[in-house]
Amino acid sequence: MSTKTPTSFEEMDCAFPSSLAEALDLMADESTRGRPLAGGTDLMVQWESGVVNRPERSISVKGLPELMGISEAGDELVIGSGVTHMQLRSSDLVQKHVPSLAEAATTVGGFQIQTMGTVGGSVANASPAGDLAPSLLITEGRVVVANREREREIPVTEFWQGYRKIDLQPDELIIRFHLPKKSAESREYWRKLGPRRAQAISKVMGSCRGQVLDGQIQSFRVAIGSVAATCVRLTGIEEWLLNRPLNESTLAEVEKRVTEEVQPIDDIRSTADYRRWVTGRMVRGFLENWLEPA
Amino acid sequence: MTVQERGAYRVIGQGIPRLDAADKVSGKAEYADDFHVPDTWYGAVVRAPVACGKLKSLSRDPAFDWSQVAVVTPEDIPGNNIVDMMGRDMPFIAHDEIQYLGEPLALVAAPSLHVAKQAAAHFKVDVEERPALLTLQEMVAVYKEDPAKLHKLSGQTIRKGDAASALKDADIVLEREYTAGHQEQLYIEPQGMVAIPERDGTMFIHGSMQCPYYINPELCETLDIPPEKLRVKQSAVGGAFGGKEEFPTLIAGYCALLALKTKRPIKMIYDRNQDILYSTKRHPSWSHYRVGVMKDGTIRAIECDFVLDGGAYTTLSPVVMYRGILHAAMGYRCENVSIDGHVYRTNTFPNGAFRGFGAPQALWAWESLIDELAAACGMTPDAFRLKNCLHEGDVTPTGGLLRDSVGSPEVLEKTLERCQFAEKWQQCSRGKSGERLWYGIGLSFFAHGSGFTGDGEARMKSKVALDLETRADGTPIVNVRVSSTEMGQGTGTILPQVAADALGIDVTHVDYPMPDTFKVPDSGPTVASRTAMVVGSTIYSAGQKMKADLESFVSETLFDGQPTELVENQFRAEYDNRSIPFVEGAAAYLASHGPFRVYDQFKLPDYVKWDQENFVGDAYPAYAWGCNVAEVEVDTLTCEFRVTKVTAFFDIGRILNPVLAMGQVQGGLIQALGYAMMEKLAIKAGKYDADRMQTYVIPTSVDGPEMDLHFVEYPWDHCQPGAKGVGEAPMDGLAPAIANALEAASGVRLRDLPLTPERLFEELSRSQRLTA
Repeated sequence: MSTKTPTSFEEMDCAFPSSLAEALDLMADESTRGRPLAGGTDLMVQWESGVVNRPERSISVKGLPELMGISEAGDELVIGSGVTHMQLRSSDLVQKHVPSLAEAATTVGGFQIQTMGTVGGSVANASPAGDLAPSLLITEGRVVVANREREREIPVTEFWQGYRKIDLQPDELIIRFHLPKKSAESREYWRKLGPRRAQAISKVMGSCRGQVLDGQIQSFRVAIGSVAATCVRLTGIEEWLLNRPLNESTLAEVEKRVTEEVQPIDDIRSTADYRRWVTGRMVRGFLENWLEPA
Repeated sequence: MTVQERGAYRVIGQGIPRLDAADKVSGKAEYADDFHVPDTWYGAVVRAPVACGKLKSLSRDPAFDWSQVAVVTPEDIPGNNIVDMMGRDMPFIAHDEIQYLGEPLALVAAPSLHVAKQAAAHFKVDVEERPALLTLQEMVAVYKEDPAKLHKLSGQTIRKGDAASALKDADIVLEREYTAGHQEQLYIEPQGMVAIPERDGTMFIHGSMQCPYYINPELCETLDIPPEKLRVKQSAVGGAFGGKEEFPTLIAGYCALLALKTKRPIKMIYDRNQDILYSTKRHPSWSHYRVGVMKDGTIRAIECDFVLDGGAYTTLSPVVMYRGILHAAMGYRCENVSIDGHVYRTNTFPNGAFRGFGAPQALWAWESLIDELAAACGMTPDAFRLKNCLHEGDVTPTGGLLRDSVGSPEVLEKTLERCQFAEKWQQCSRGKSGERLWYGIGLSFFAHGSGFTGDGEARMKSKVALDLETRADGTPIVNVRVSSTEMGQGTGTILPQVAADALGIDVTHVDYPMPDTFKVPDSGPTVASRTAMVVGSTIYSAGQKMKADLESFVSETLFDGQPTELVENQFRAEYDNRSIPFVEGAAAYLASHGPFRVYDQFKLPDYVKWDQENFVGDAYPAYAWGCNVAEVEVDTLTCEFRVTKVTAFFDIGRILNPVLAMGQVQGGLIQALGYAMMEKLAIKAGKYDADRMQTYVIPTSVDGPEMDLHFVEYPWDHCQPGAKGVGEAPMDGLAPAIANALEAASGVRLRDLPLTPERLFEELSRSQRLTA
């Protein structure tokens, strides 16, 4: 590998493969491998601002046909990694079966970002403030990655390993997502708290999927972003809630327990104290939705 | 003199489309980066790596290829290494003391921007770092301990009556502190300039600016050239908001110094990151009040410390502070006023002009405190304001008499009535527990001094010219020749409207060429909400002069000496009803005499008296008046809140173009909303942390509230058409109105801007008002 870091886009070597196979071939060999570039809505900004050094080479995976498309496979939705936020939010299938994901996609950046940015890019960027992550986490679906030789499946819940760290080998690309649909009886909710009402990176955001029958919590999954190094499932809370009655004492207790479970930080967008408190409030708010008719 | 009724005007008062609209929407308008002069090199700045220290040495990395790079260091400056602004304390290029992170240490130019940036990164800087004073909070802490430990950039007092004794007689005395932070102008088009060295020794500066006649003469001393060898021309400007008032002298200077060195055109266009890091911001402020009131709501005495964080050098800070202290006790009757204004140095980029220019900071504190005073007297905010607000014939805190054109109390009364304030005030939640949404309504009322502060207009003597010339197609055209710039606010439309109205012709016969100091007289800078009032009225009188001259020419040469009037595009003879079109009469004039220029100069009325040393008298010749009401909704689940509705009345004097005036009000209120609720810059390791549009958050269109906005017209009596300025007043009052509404909703008061859910959460936690 050369040691020279390009200082402009012009100095970068860019490959534009026309098929997934071609892209994986390029990724297979160290001499042709490059940073996969999809919509570029994260990378371009990071390179330009110097937060991340420009790679010597990049490989455009934008629009590769094998990475596109949203389809059903039994109890699952299959979403290509090249699907854009705009396609996600506009998809009837996503709106019906993983509605919080469609809603989250509407809050990513503005129209331009939504039109260029992809679900695979967002997942690979692995920001703790990545708006799609909570909705992916609560489906307990799988990420499918591939190299030239084989495909490999990883549970979404294990894909983000730490701050900006993902389970992906240097020769692999993210191909698609298998997301179990919500059942007809369950509901999903999404909420994002940001410094403004659009075009905002969150202070805290999250999704939940749950089912409540006769005032008793049958199932509840909740994931929160911007409160830890990765988006996190609050599994302790989920377990505690199981089979409990949905009443004020449960809500008060869950609010308290959430604030004890998350460890957010102070940063440019918000404070640790507020984030801790408001995460509890957000989970309470999610549950309160079931007190009203769907 | 009394101004004419609105009906007397034909073009003034019409909401005609902007004259620059077609060029701007079609992409024809030329901004600084659109100039492509052959052989241009690109400039970059070598910047200081520390916020405070002593420069020991500056050297170049020998490994870098310097053959294609020009370098300017202080030794290359032909004149004095001083930026010729107030204080004269800022070097163009630092050579000894470093006062802020990023202060220029050298300038470089190269055939490409890329090489120029690389070259700038290949300097080795050896500095002896010293402790820096970076934030308002640190500055105020030192101030409270001992002001003498701070480096003072400016100070001024206002004294009226005997505030200290009167405070002792008051029934209730409130002591309060309020702060506001930096605000970035965030114009769409970043700073950009081109300097072209002409063969005859002229330096031609062309770029994005508000004030061509700041750059000339300010650069003359540095470049060591006479004013007649410095040509400054404005390009199309994509927004400024004060950010292109004094700053462009710096970037123009960098380009010109490099142009002298290389003998080539030099271009510098800042990217957003550089622009935020290395250009002016609104001054952070700390206001400390002790105010005494009687139980019946009478204000007995006002004592105020108004302290601004000036940044590293003086620049315009004294005048910003002057406007601040002149608004810090304005709007209400009080016989005993004592205000101390101060500006101290911190180690950040010098803070500077920003829409409102000190008034928004002062009014943020003062209008918040008015609500606190009302509550202390057991009065509602509206009743307290109605009782105390200034009327025609009252005197200001500096003893200035409000003679005429006083929109108070009408703006206040009308706003209160329009939004049903009294009823809604009763419905406010005041932090009631168990509710998911809290509702609150809040009020602010204020005056904004029109034109320059104090003796500014008297010293400025603004000049304008109108040129009757021949267009390329042979038809006559009247060109407005002023240094007032179009920066998006509408100058290039309203001034032709005024000229057309004065002449009795349609605006299609009037044009506004971009200001160029080789072609226009000095009408003063485009600041201080002064253009419509000062420059507009002077154009009106120049237009009347030109009209009279043309009428007498047509009368003598075409109408046998009959009295002749130019009305509605026609020269009309009084006796025999003959008439000819304006273009025909004007063409005859041009054929006979050639191009015709009329000059005029603004003159303050004689009754305006001002003592600049003691700050006594008429601080401004007139005031715009405004009242803002904000309604807020707090989501008690998250402490998020939004402004659901703003109701406002403004008296801006005669309205020249109602569409553009309303645009100024709407835009100003949204900018004020950002100041109130979102915009913040913290300083990390000497640097602003929010240095990109991703992190510096301003309102989007969906953050804007419902707006119910109105004008009342109290034209300034001194001259036609009687405008008082609209640019800044919309920035003044929204932040305190929102804070007041937030208290009505939540029961807690926030005294630091911006007002955020985090701050509300902290205050509610502290007062144990968080609700389930």
